[in-house]
Amino acid sequence: MNNVIDVQNVTFTYPGETRPSLRNMSFSVQKGEFLAVIGGNGSGKSTLCKLFNGLIPHYYTGDFEGSVIVNGLQAADSSVADLSSHVGYVYQDFENQLVQARVLEDAAFAPLHFGFPDYEERARQALSLVELDQCEDEFIWQLSGGQKHLLALAGCLSLQPDILVLDEPIAQLDPHHARKMYKILETLNKQHGKTIIVIEHHTEFIADYCSSVLLVDEGKAVWKKPVKEALTAVDELTKRGIYPPQVTQAARELGLGGMLPVTLEEADEYFKALFLEKRAPLENKPNEIEGEPAARFENAEFFYKTINRTVTPVLKDITVTFYKGEKVALVGNNGAGKSTLLRLLTGFRKPAGGSVSVLGQTTAGLTPEQLADKVTYIYQNPEQMFIEDSVRKDVEFFLKARRIKDFESRVDRILEQFHLTDLQHKDSRLMSGGQQRRASLAIGAAMNPAIILLDEPTANLDIATRKQLTGFIDQLKEHTELVMIATHDMQLVSEWATRVIVMHEGGIIYDGSKEELFSNMFLMKKAGLVPPQIVELSHRLGLFPAAYSIDSFINLYREAESWITQKI
Amino acid sequence: MDYAKNMMDKLSIEQAKIELLNTAYANDRTAIARLDPRTLFLWYAFFGIAPWFIHNTIILAGLLAFTVTTTIMTKVSRLILLILILGLLGQGGYLLIASLFFGGDLAVLQPLLLLTVKLAVISLASITVFCSMSPEKLSIGLLSIGVPGQVSFSISYGYRMLPVLLEEYNHVFMCYRLRGKAPEKKGLLYWRMAAYFVKLSVISFYPLLLSTAKRARTTVEALETKGSKNAFTNPAVKKLKLSSLRMGGQDYFFLAISFTFITALFLLGHYY
Amino acid sequence: MQTVKERYTLTQSQKMMVFILSMSLYGLSNMITELVPSVYVGPVEFSIEYFAFIPLTLCILFHPLYAAIGASLGEVIFGELMLGQFGGFGELEKFISFSLAMYIAGIMVTDPKNRQQVGMAALSGVIIHQLISMMVDIGKVWIGVDDFETLPGLAESVVVVEGFAFFNDVLFSGILFALIPTLYFVPRLYGKIEPLLGMKPRTRENTHSTRGILRPKLVIAAVLLAFAAFGFEFLSETDLNIFEWEAPFAEQLETNLIWISIGVAAVLSLSILFAIISRNKKAKDRIAHE
Repeated sequence: MNNVIDVQNVTFTYPGETRPSLRNMSFSVQKGEFLAVIGGNGSGKSTLCKLFNGLIPHYYTGDFEGSVIVNGLQAADSSVADLSSHVGYVYQDFENQLVQARVLEDAAFAPLHFGFPDYEERARQALSLVELDQCEDEFIWQLSGGQKHLLALAGCLSLQPDILVLDEPIAQLDPHHARKMYKILETLNKQHGKTIIVIEHHTEFIADYCSSVLLVDEGKAVWKKPVKEALTAVDELTKRGIYPPQVTQAARELGLGGMLPVTLEEADEYFKALFLEKRAPLENKPNEIEGEPAARFENAEFFYKTINRTVTPVLKDITVTFYKGEKVALVGNNGAGKSTLLRLLTGFRKPAGGSVSVLGQTTAGLTPEQLADKVTYIYQNPEQMFIEDSVRKDVEFFLKARRIKDFESRVDRILEQFHLTDLQHKDSRLMSGGQQRRASLAIGAAMNPAIILLDEPTANLDIATRKQLTGFIDQLKEHTELVMIATHDMQLVSEWATRVIVMHEGGIIYDGSKEELFSNMFLMKKAGLVPPQIVELSHRLGLFPAAYSIDSFINLYREAESWITQKI
Repeated sequence: MDYAKNMMDKLSIEQAKIELLNTAYANDRTAIARLDPRTLFLWYAFFGIAPWFIHNTIILAGLLAFTVTTTIMTKVSRLILLILILGLLGQGGYLLIASLFFGGDLAVLQPLLLLTVKLAVISLASITVFCSMSPEKLSIGLLSIGVPGQVSFSISYGYRMLPVLLEEYNHVFMCYRLRGKAPEKKGLLYWRMAAYFVKLSVISFYPLLLSTAKRARTTVEALETKGSKNAFTNPAVKKLKLSSLRMGGQDYFFLAISFTFITALFLLGHYY
Repeated sequence: MQTVKERYTLTQSQKMMVFILSMSLYGLSNMITELVPSVYVGPVEFSIEYFAFIPLTLCILFHPLYAAIGASLGEVIFGELMLGQFGGFGELEKFISFSLAMYIAGIMVTDPKNRQQVGMAALSGVIIHQLISMMVDIGKVWIGVDDFETLPGLAESVVVVEGFAFFNDVLFSGILFALIPTLYFVPRLYGKIEPLLGMKPRTRENTHSTRGILRPKLVIAAVLLAFAAFGFEFLSETDLNIFEWEAPFAEQLETNLIWISIGVAAVLSLSILFAIISRNKKAKDRIAHE
């Protein structure tokens, strides 16, 4: 028997709730497994993970039945502290898990407070495992989001647990750091023999790294299967709002039979035989929308001061014009200058050199308040938009402050449009992630600006919610003339944008259509962009222009098929 | 108020972080900063309290000279000194004016001056001690003199959370500003604007209270898994934390010098 | 049934949450108020002394002791230490007086939905704190100035200057930054912030079970007595040293006496705090065992 975790008939109800969050849950995890837990919103995934280190039932004193055995310990009889040396838990809001000012200090916190004399050594070891050994003495606020996440992991590793549990480890990371996170988890799993459990909805990562999958629905374990078997159960997954990897979906859609591919490599093999014909390259079409300009950057520059008082350039000599009616996606890796570019438009920051103008007026002479009537910025974290105690009050705040006539009917209309009518009297902070995003879009729409700027609108959302949100983002164009999105989400870019700007080290290295961008693998690599899986597949198969969505891939395939049949 | 507005616009979070770091760590390379925190506490225990009960001009002047010297040695920022001096003169000045009004004469000048010297010695002593300790050193020092572990935890936690909180507060405040509307009439002496900003700075805490409550929950949960539950009272943990403290030659030297100086001063004060 | 009863009191970790919440937010507010310049119109100071509404709100909604101590510690860490203004012993005095004042304000409220109670508590909190500060400040001059009594006009002027500051702060900070915001925040947050920390809101019933034993009036009386004791100690000791002024080693003796009086006062106020804590604990134990 190699089970490190044994969950038997667990039923749990949070205090004050009537419906149990876990119902008669049973499954086990073997030593050395890399398990992905999947399930829709509210299926009980996060609750499940709190079982392993005894937070349930010790910390959440609800009604608990059944037994959980972790590394031979009965969880109900062991304290949270005891279980923590067997199970490390990284929260979804890992930021709040970091409790000390400096990196080494935080990593050493747990072993120090457990009274291990070699606490510093343990911390250093843990830091080197997550490749943070270079930043020992830095302050946590100097770290990037990805590094903070790794530090939260190191904080657990310093107790040398056999089991690691991570709640959505890459939800807040850009694609580059997401990959790095999983590479590190892979090393911990393969070389250090740790058993790893992740809650994950990025099925493409599950296919690449996990060994088995547990599907949870309404507090019950539906099944636990090896990864390949699990991800090819397309119907069962999509029914619950979980989307298998794009390559799997495409193969399934085409109904070609055989074992469906789940990784890029498999898909390469699977489709290779089918696309023998190479197509003629597409003409480079210059961007032809030349309407009225909405915003213009002329040789704009921006710097900021760092801790040691040196000056770092963030934007270098930016000259670009955005026109009314465009849907612009701003892409590039972290630190490329996307957010700064947006902030220059809001007037929060003024350019250090050159000029920025909005609707013909330069921002230099305008206060953020004056600009707010023209430009609306929607924060990455929707909670930062909520200043009132109900959705409705938040939406009407702007209109009410300006004493606009009939604002009530307008608010009604916007609430209706963003499907918030039923939720209007709820506190926005207590809603789900998707609902919060919708509310933040509605707040922006109600301000009726000429330009709406969105910062990572799909971050932190599961795939199903994300798909739904794209539709709502599209509705913004009724309220505004120009929408700009800064994002890492290439799927959003492929479905929504009419113009893509690629930023790299403070400059613009590409400005054009998404089709052309997705066909240029070299450019994407340089800018650190990770295209949707289907784009990568197209490149592997030598398709040009690359397909950027499952539908366009299927169309290409059908065309190729008809060519082949014509030849026969 | 335009000044305040400008300040609000320019107050970037990055800037604030830099200033904070400089305040906390600027002076930790001086000779006094290398002393053991317990030495400094012991030293402060005398200089922070004794002046209250000393009425001898010569002794007080000597103590003032001594603390001025140590303050210079800590290379403390001029701003802090300026604030201190203004504060001291302000209080003394008010008292002087008020007592003249109540029928006193210039005879109060001398005792008030003496009072100011006492306050100055005490303040300079605390600047010497506390400005030359980095937050980490102060934490350990406090722990070593029996202050509960929660306090030293809170100091480090404060440095961890401050940038996060400042940023969030700034966001919320900007949200109110951008979505609300500043009063059109500025009012006499800009009082309407001032009232508007004050109101915003207060109600900005509403969203912050709720979001910080959420944070606090995860943090405490995580603290539980990090074994902090009993650690604040566990002597073994305390011993580990204090193991880095060591009284060295420079500590004894510093204490000896101070002691000799004080003794000499008291003798001098007693006979003259 | 034990689990159900436990939920009415706060667990150790919930207290820690209240502590952290109070510390971070009041600390932040303190840093902000320290940085905002004050406006003087003649001797009248229009400054934001402190955002007392934060600890007041939290003391009223949650466990008053942890919210009060958290806030005081937050002030020391964010408002003093980080800005390089940590004042050593001076902080101790602020810490005790502010915690005590906020705590008393918290226990005065038995029903957070009762606006009158909340308003009274908010004002009392500020008044108590300013009263203690005033007494300490007067005391400092008293001790610090040699033959204080014999100097004409000094005693009056100290009382007037400090008394003026007291009324200034109570009227300005007390109403604008304690009374009004607390009345605005408490009803808005009541029932909303507690679930975020995994607690049930305070109601009159559960207040009764955890706090009834404390009898707010009794505590207030005790605290007032403590202040009186504190004041009398100071008075008598300083009188004493005037009598013995001519005695040899007067300085030495004076030092000792004043040390003793400070000690007595500190012991008094601390023991009251401890009595309150242990009563709380006992009350909880009793409930848990019932």
